[in-house]
Amino acid sequence: MNNSDLKLIGFIMLVVTIMFGLLLVFKNSSSKNALVYYEDNLVLTIDLNLSGEHEYKVMGYNGEVIIKTKDSKIKVEEENSPLNICSKQGWIKNSYDVIVCLPNKIVIKIEDKEEIDTVVR
Amino acid sequence: MEIKKITRLSMFLCLSVVLNIIESFIPLFDGSIPGIKLGLANVIVLIVLYLYSFKDAMYISILRVLLVGILRTGIFSVSFFFSFGGAVLSVLIMWLVKKTRLSIIGVSIIGAISHSIGQILIAIILIKNFYIVYYIPWLLLFSVPTGILTGIISKYSLNYLENRLQ
Repeated sequence: MNNSDLKLIGFIMLVVTIMFGLLLVFKNSSSKNALVYYEDNLVLTIDLNLSGEHEYKVMGYNGEVIIKTKDSKIKVEEENSPLNICSKQGWIKNSYDVIVCLPNKIVIKIEDKEEIDTVVR
Repeated sequence: MEIKKITRLSMFLCLSVVLNIIESFIPLFDGSIPGIKLGLANVIVLIVLYLYSFKDAMYISILRVLLVGILRTGIFSVSFFFSFGGAVLSVLIMWLVKKTRLSIIGVSIIGAISHSIGQILIAIILIKNFYIVYYIPWLLLFSVPTGILTGIISKYSLNYLENRLQ
């Protein structure tokens, strides 16, 4: 391995880093879904690309949980729990962000909508 | 072509098919991650490119794809065209790059990358889905270690062969 090989490897790594960076920027603007789970069961899927404000109601362990979405952000508006941790958490918007309402056994996750067209082996 | 050369080239062709089959027994590179391959067959293409000529390397490469297509993946299937595009582009680009100051390891890395790029070009044409380009950074990342490995293998094989052939 000579000097120009090392330069080549360095150049490739630079290109890879730039490409991953671009991908990250691009992915954040892509379409997302919010998934609402109650006791590990998917109870509601919310499309976060809808404009405007929307409200959803889900039955939690301690009663109704009100979920609000606005401009591809999502938060828990109202719920009944001792410490109200999840409604204090506020808005989340990035993929793989989560809101956990332990007393209500509710989990809200954000996921990218990924559609697999073909798998090639 | 003289008989000696024909015999040697057919031995190389045979080896490249066998290496392709052996490669599919290695976990991680057995097709479990689409597009990630060790590329052991590239060792043979590199050796032929350095020992003989561009034309011979192209012959071996295309015949290998045809033979592997007939024996394993099925001829004229989608993956056959992927391999074909990758093989042709990688030999072409390796031949061009060979003239620069890069050693055989650098040439091998470039070969691995152009093989991936060739496959992606064919995939864009065949599947008509532009989203495959998101796969390019992953393929580039994996091309470097696999390219270095095949480059090192080719280097030592060439050292051995050059003393013994002719």
